[in-house]
Amino acid sequence: MSELDRQIEQLKKCEPLKESEVKSLCLKAMEILVEESNVQRICGDIHGQFYDLKELFKVGGDCPKTNYLFLGDFVDRGFYSVETFLLLLALKVRYPDRITLIRGNHESRQITQVYGFYDECLRKYGSANVWRYCTDIFDYLSLSALIENKIFSVHGGLSPSISTLDQIRTIFRKQEVPHDGAMCELLWSDPEDTVDGWGLSPRGAGFLFGGSVVNAFNRTNNIDYICRAHQLVMEGYKWMFNNQIVTVWSAPNYCYRCGNVAAILELDENLNKKFRAPARKPPPDYFL
Amino acid sequence: MEGEIDKEELKAAGAQLLPDGRTGLVINGWEIETRKFPILNSTHVQLWEQKLQTSHLPEMVFGESSLVLKHLKSDVKIHFNAFDSLVGWKQEKLPPVEVPAAAKWKFRSKPFQQVILDYDYTFTTPYCGSETVEKSLEQRETISDEGSCKLHWEDCEERIDLTALASKEPILFYDEVIFYEDELADSGVSLLTVKVRVMPSCWFLLLRFWLRVDGVLMRLRDTRMHCIFGESNKPVVLRECCWREATFQALASKGYPSDCAAYVDPTSISQRLPIILHKTQKLKIPN
Repeated sequence: MSELDRQIEQLKKCEPLKESEVKSLCLKAMEILVEESNVQRICGDIHGQFYDLKELFKVGGDCPKTNYLFLGDFVDRGFYSVETFLLLLALKVRYPDRITLIRGNHESRQITQVYGFYDECLRKYGSANVWRYCTDIFDYLSLSALIENKIFSVHGGLSPSISTLDQIRTIFRKQEVPHDGAMCELLWSDPEDTVDGWGLSPRGAGFLFGGSVVNAFNRTNNIDYICRAHQLVMEGYKWMFNNQIVTVWSAPNYCYRCGNVAAILELDENLNKKFRAPARKPPPDYFL
Repeated sequence: MEGEIDKEELKAAGAQLLPDGRTGLVINGWEIETRKFPILNSTHVQLWEQKLQTSHLPEMVFGESSLVLKHLKSDVKIHFNAFDSLVGWKQEKLPPVEVPAAAKWKFRSKPFQQVILDYDYTFTTPYCGSETVEKSLEQRETISDEGSCKLHWEDCEERIDLTALASKEPILFYDEVIFYEDELADSGVSLLTVKVRVMPSCWFLLLRFWLRVDGVLMRLRDTRMHCIFGESNKPVVLRECCWREATFQALASKGYPSDCAAYVDPTSISQRLPIILHKTQKLKIPN
């Protein structure tokens, strides 16, 4: 029985709590009752760059005082995928209403075995158990989020088999990311300047979508714009198709060598937007 | 530059570090320098796309980075950069490599009016370095053309003496420069880098194009250059190009592992990839 359950039982008998218990109960209640701020921060790929994530919270404001939406790709590539994902997950468990984590294409068993997270778990824990627990959780992450019914957020982009937001809710998502189909496309596809409608990547798999597709989707669903991540942009964010879609990238100096800027998108209660760039930080190193 | 340079060893070899925060050294009539900068920003990417007449570049182009080896007496400059290597990519224009999931995609219903992009997204390049004779300003006035001329690499039988290079001579200068990199949308890696090391007796470099399309194929295109310092004013640079390529299927049929995770480091697996092209050439530095 938890501490709180025990206190409830005690109170039911009309027995008062200890002073210290009252203090902590009131603190907890305050967290719940404090007026929920509508200020929202949207963050793109993090890729295990833990120290840059900390910098990002410094610039954007701490969770739970500020609401956060992370667009996926928490793991792989960087040195601290384990710490990065666990911190975000712990924040989610602690403040479920204040932080939203959606799934990126790297939140997958197959991809993490090639791009670092699996090896990092093995190295840090000596077994694949932690990787297994984490990848099981990946299956439960949402595929998209809607902010105030006006901003559609997703890791990759659109899918030719999805034209309305309701269709996304019908996707069976508690599974490994498949190689094709709507779920795969939401996590993998990219906007592309050189096509107007739908394009197929030269890899033979993976959709590209042009301006008219975005325009139609936004109109059908009555949204202002799409906010997605998935692609590195030197300036941290990039608008396309007449401000109908924006790419946000939040891993500065990606892979510790690109020298790119990271950005997070800030929205106030009226959805006014502003981009902020956390400072670049090299990873600390136990040099001798 | 990584690691400490031993001042005594530099002095003993008659080498001098480059001044003013530049990275590199002067040794035996050669000036060897690396420059490393961040990836191109959006404005420069657009400019490059125009110049190269393409709408697609690798996602990380270290466009300002370079390695330059200049023979001071002859003004011969051997150099490496991203732009020239992407010119090579445009010229070679290989057909796109299909990823394993492509087979499945062929049988699904296609969206109306779908465009299929068909550029070589692997950015495979035959690039093996650039070379020019760069005359100084006064000299340039007397020459009618651009002031630089093409040098001639002639085929030869000699091989780079890898045994001699394995000797643990002190390394006076070492660096690695990345020219471009693409994650192939998480379907593998395409990477062009050069490593250089300078010893008291010679300089040696390895330009490497490394491609892994997960589940499909690997390509390793190595260019090694070696120049032994001698008494002569006319040094010879030996260049060995070695291209290796294998499909995952072919590797699996030989009993090698077929999961991508086993092929992260090209150096450790290069021997498994069969050679498809090998040539040695030399460049005699003119007077």
